[in-house]
Amino acid sequence: MRKEPGDPEPLEEAPSLEVQRQQEARLIEAWKTPTGWRYWSAVNNSEVGLWYTLTAFCFFLFGGVLALLMRIQLAAPDNDFLTADRYHQIFTMHGTVMMFLFAVPIFEAVSILLLPQMLGARDLPFPRLSAYGFWCYLIGGTFVCGSLFFDAAPKGGWFMYPPLTSSYQEGIGPDIWLLGLSFIEVASIAAAVELIVGVLKCRPPGMRINLIPLYAWYILVVGAMIIFAFPPLIAGDILLEVERAFDWPFFDPKRGGDPLLWQHLFWIFGHPEVYIVFLPSVALMAMMVPTFARTPIVGYGWVVLAAVGTGFLSFGLWVHHMFTTGLPGISIGIFSAASQAVAIPTGIQMFCFLATLLVGRVVRSVCLLFVLGGLATFIIGGLTGVMVAMAPFDFQAHDTFFVVGHLHYVLIGGTIFPIVGGVYYYYPLITAKYLSEKLGRIAFWLMIVGLNVTFLPMHWTGLLGLPRRVYTFSSELGVDHWNLISSIGSFILASGFVVFLYDVLRSKRNEPLIKRNPWQAGTLEWLAQIPDKPWGCRSIPEVDSRYPINDQPNFMRDVDEGRFYLPDAEEGFRETLVTSVIDAKPIQCLRVPGPTFITHLAAIFTGGVFILGTYHHWWLAGISSVLALAAILCWLWTGTAWIPEKEEKDISLGLTMPIYVSGPNAVGWWAMFITMLGDMTAYVSLLFGYFFYWTIHEDFPPEGITGPGVFWPVLGGVLLLASWGLTIAAQYQNRKDHAGKFYGCVIAAVLYAIAGSFALIMGPWQTGLDPTSHVYPAIVWVLVLWTVCHAGVGIIMLLYCAARRAAKKMTARYDADITNVTLYWHFMALTVALLVIVIAGFPFVS
Amino acid sequence: MFRFHAFSTSSLHGFCPRSARTGRWGRNALWFTCLLTISFLITGCEGIQSALNPAGRDAALIAQLYWWMVGGAVIIWLIVVGLAVYALQINATEHDYNVTRFWVIGGGAVAPTIILTVLLVYGLSMMPTLLEPAPEGSQTITVIGKQWWWKVRYHLPEGQAVELANEIRLPVDEPVQFYLESADVIHSFWIPSLGGKVDMLPGRQTRLTLHPQRTGIYRGVCAEYCGGSHAKMSFEVVVMERDAFDTWLEQQQAPAKSASNELAERGESVFLAHGCGACHTIRGTKANGKIAPDLTHYGSRLRLAASALPQTRDALKEWIAHPKQTKPGVHMPSFALLSEDDLTALAAYLEGLQ
Amino acid sequence: MKLPPHEQTQSLWILVASPTIWAVHFLACYTTAAVWCAKMAETGGDLGAARWAIGVYTAAALIGIAIVGWRGFVRQSFEQVPPPFDADTIEDRVRFLEYAALLLSILSAIATIFVALAAVFIGTCD
Repeated sequence: MRKEPGDPEPLEEAPSLEVQRQQEARLIEAWKTPTGWRYWSAVNNSEVGLWYTLTAFCFFLFGGVLALLMRIQLAAPDNDFLTADRYHQIFTMHGTVMMFLFAVPIFEAVSILLLPQMLGARDLPFPRLSAYGFWCYLIGGTFVCGSLFFDAAPKGGWFMYPPLTSSYQEGIGPDIWLLGLSFIEVASIAAAVELIVGVLKCRPPGMRINLIPLYAWYILVVGAMIIFAFPPLIAGDILLEVERAFDWPFFDPKRGGDPLLWQHLFWIFGHPEVYIVFLPSVALMAMMVPTFARTPIVGYGWVVLAAVGTGFLSFGLWVHHMFTTGLPGISIGIFSAASQAVAIPTGIQMFCFLATLLVGRVVRSVCLLFVLGGLATFIIGGLTGVMVAMAPFDFQAHDTFFVVGHLHYVLIGGTIFPIVGGVYYYYPLITAKYLSEKLGRIAFWLMIVGLNVTFLPMHWTGLLGLPRRVYTFSSELGVDHWNLISSIGSFILASGFVVFLYDVLRSKRNEPLIKRNPWQAGTLEWLAQIPDKPWGCRSIPEVDSRYPINDQPNFMRDVDEGRFYLPDAEEGFRETLVTSVIDAKPIQCLRVPGPTFITHLAAIFTGGVFILGTYHHWWLAGISSVLALAAILCWLWTGTAWIPEKEEKDISLGLTMPIYVSGPNAVGWWAMFITMLGDMTAYVSLLFGYFFYWTIHEDFPPEGITGPGVFWPVLGGVLLLASWGLTIAAQYQNRKDHAGKFYGCVIAAVLYAIAGSFALIMGPWQTGLDPTSHVYPAIVWVLVLWTVCHAGVGIIMLLYCAARRAAKKMTARYDADITNVTLYWHFMALTVALLVIVIAGFPFVS
Repeated sequence: MFRFHAFSTSSLHGFCPRSARTGRWGRNALWFTCLLTISFLITGCEGIQSALNPAGRDAALIAQLYWWMVGGAVIIWLIVVGLAVYALQINATEHDYNVTRFWVIGGGAVAPTIILTVLLVYGLSMMPTLLEPAPEGSQTITVIGKQWWWKVRYHLPEGQAVELANEIRLPVDEPVQFYLESADVIHSFWIPSLGGKVDMLPGRQTRLTLHPQRTGIYRGVCAEYCGGSHAKMSFEVVVMERDAFDTWLEQQQAPAKSASNELAERGESVFLAHGCGACHTIRGTKANGKIAPDLTHYGSRLRLAASALPQTRDALKEWIAHPKQTKPGVHMPSFALLSEDDLTALAAYLEGLQ
Repeated sequence: MKLPPHEQTQSLWILVASPTIWAVHFLACYTTAAVWCAKMAETGGDLGAARWAIGVYTAAALIGIAIVGWRGFVRQSFEQVPPPFDADTIEDRVRFLEYAALLLSILSAIATIFVALAAVFIGTCD
């Protein structure tokens, strides 16, 4: 184990036992979980992560029951167990629940729970954001699922293709889907931001980029994928909901719209989504395989290559869900090629795991059983995936049960089996008790037999001609027996989950506590003490290896005795370390906020906006949005950018760290940057819509409709760019401590922004663009309104900074607020510039 | 290329004792899967809607591709799973890191790249053949998907067209050009035995070329979820000799035969009196509705209600009286108010429209 | 061989350089083909110039990827230390990042060639 000369070493001498006890008492005091009803105000990653995980599993069970209902209906031809309408609601909800309410949230839940432990951090950088995300998820998920019990659930499929969902379905089902899920997607993005920043900035000192656990690499990649994959769907949701609510014809071909745009936006999200739910499970495998092979992972670099490569390539596959939409062969060929290429990194990962098992001394356990069972079934799904990526074969297989079989092999084998294995692996870490090896083995065999009996025949059913999403089928197809077998298999599979559930829930009161680090793993999460303490690690270690528990001598003792960083909480604050991105050099001792109920209020009112909007109670939704904004501002005001009582803090081992930093060193700056990348992605998706419409129309703007002109958009653009300049000036003046000039700049920036927004609206208003008449005015209006809304947010941010300064919560030295707001305005400037170029400039080119 | 340091922890013995029982995992899985696979292969590919029982050039090409891929996939799966089972059985000291390097680079990177390149070239080189339009002068048919039936328009050489519904007949051994449209939501036009599917999108026209090679009766189906009765949206496809096809097409162009007996005459008057003609066309009568299937030669069709029902009098009566029982959400109103006699007469009239 | 000083501030962006080139190439190919077939060519028309454009993009992309990959190859192999690059040293961190960049370059090159193959075999807008 080589390291740099002068690399920090743990303290030679442990503090005296008396001192250690005092340190522990103070740490516990700072990190203790609230009790009684206040327990629900907890924001610590271990509580929120646990709630998140349990909630995700509840939704999983709900989705599973829906699947069984479908299999009962399809067990026999011309069955009338379910009506067509009910069946359509159920298959829509099954897909929706499994993808949006289980697969993505479970990854985020497990990561919130485990990532800080793996990184030796006390908590994630924004604990209240995780809590907010969780409550949003719970409210939104319950709302969406609840609709099924009122016979009001969406029934357009989890892919919601218009015009079926825009003009041909009665009721509020599609609105529930669009608004309810947008709400949850926002929560998913929030969690992704947090996890990315966690991996990049909250590692323990010394954990260079070549040493981080593979799980963290995967989380980084998946987080980035969410930032770029979810916004296009949100953009699509906006367009479809606006069409439903206000009759703007984005997907109505009679008025120039095109349903294919939805398919593009949906699948630009939808295909990366498959990898978003699959890669975290590979990450779990990458943690379990080396542990049970008793050897470091083989080909760490190759696995990183595979994770990053898959992340990229997965964005080049979306059209393979659209091979049969009559696109030109060349487009199909390009996407078919990329879909083949993505199999390469996937293969590399699998072979790295196999090679690790080859060189290791394999220790058998249920965890490994699930990993290997998952691998064997996932490979079948991967191979059929390569088949359907071959466009000619897809012409036949697309939208048949072949694809149903394929995707369930991928998702159950690739995603769920490793998660179940992961539960067996990490259950002792969370509860200090083992799950039963025997029950685990029974559950495994039931599941793997059930999986194959259910889904292998479906490949055949599909090729014998049974399309997907049929509520019944005719005997004439000759698939009766295959369907019956599938239905029987589904109950075997379900019984496996029942055994697993029993194992998790059964009382283990009489069983002894496990010993610490039961699997003899090498990564930091296994530092957790038995029973677990709320502080994460007793002291934050200096890491020199990929498997520090195995490689660094006396590591656990040194951590436990507080011989590393931050062994104490002298001031009674919750503190964790922020380090640099590449080499994890400490740069800040970050104070994170503790329990609160403000996040609940923020989540309830945010939920109110979406839920009331579903029922078109626009006024109430408006009031709810004001309350949500107030709650969020109150949360930011009280919980962020605290001015510390002292500049620096001794974090032990001879290092002192600033408590307050701003700019690119600060986690808040990173969060803003990443969030705005996602925001820009949504905006670019809308711009993509503009150019998409341009390609399908002979003339765009069409004959008889003038564009928004040049004068107003350019005027609006200039005013908003001036506002941007004034924001930069305000930041500068604040740093110079020129209070008067600072307030002047802020006020001027706000006024310019208001005037600029007004001018932007005047463009399409003055030229009489009617958004319901044709898709051209509609897309122009959407782009303008998007920009104006962002200007509104920018104005609120500027006023917030002025108020912070006035309240002495922001000063020349402690300027994180205005720094982050300036970053927002940089993106705002880009948004405005693109808007003006497109709506005012592009009509001259086309 | 791979160099590893040994774990420095002293205890390497396993948490779980290595039991003899667990040695059977892999073998069990292998046997199980082999048995299942074999049982698939020995069962037939027959079926009116089977993609693996090709009756056309395109379906045959794709089926061939499929069997190659299945063969390759089975071999790859056996190798990988075999390797995993082997990894569990062997002792770590028996091989060195060069072996793992071989597997990661060779098995993980090089082999997939070669296999995928071959496959990609195979697939891409097929595509121009599959996507090429039919030559000038081929039979051209426009099919318009509607919730939940098919409007079929045969284009005749002289430039006119004849409008039919829910049944397509094709001459064998001749390419045929389909133009596909939708009147409402997205549908997908798929005749598995003849070739791949192409979606029908409102506001767009898509194309599909098929090359039937074997006479017979096949079934086409809507493959894109289109709401209420998506599961009941099919059509019959009859591939016939050129002569028989010509005769049929000529007969379809003719106006409807007038009612041939008393019952049928009564049926015709029921048809006209109850407003059926507002939606349906029967050429040669006053019925000229455009929103529902053309019934001019209804009696010549093989099945009823977009293939959801057999062509029998009872089924037809049931359909007219309670269409929603067969097809949920269907736009045809219920005619349960008709008397039994009226229904029988109506069915007799329609059956007579050969 | 001593590391040049700027290595101390090596960036994570090196990892995404080659895949980004692939992504740009991919989007350029797709956009060119789609716009050509939608706006320039008749239905079923010849791809013509669009194919040449894809050829040019591909050459440019491969050159870019080769530069990144070569850089990675040279830097990861200094002092001829083999992987796994798991020491807590600046050298190993540099080697690791450059090694990953090299591997990603190879993958990106393969993916780029795959995408370009589409234009080799398909010559019309059918």
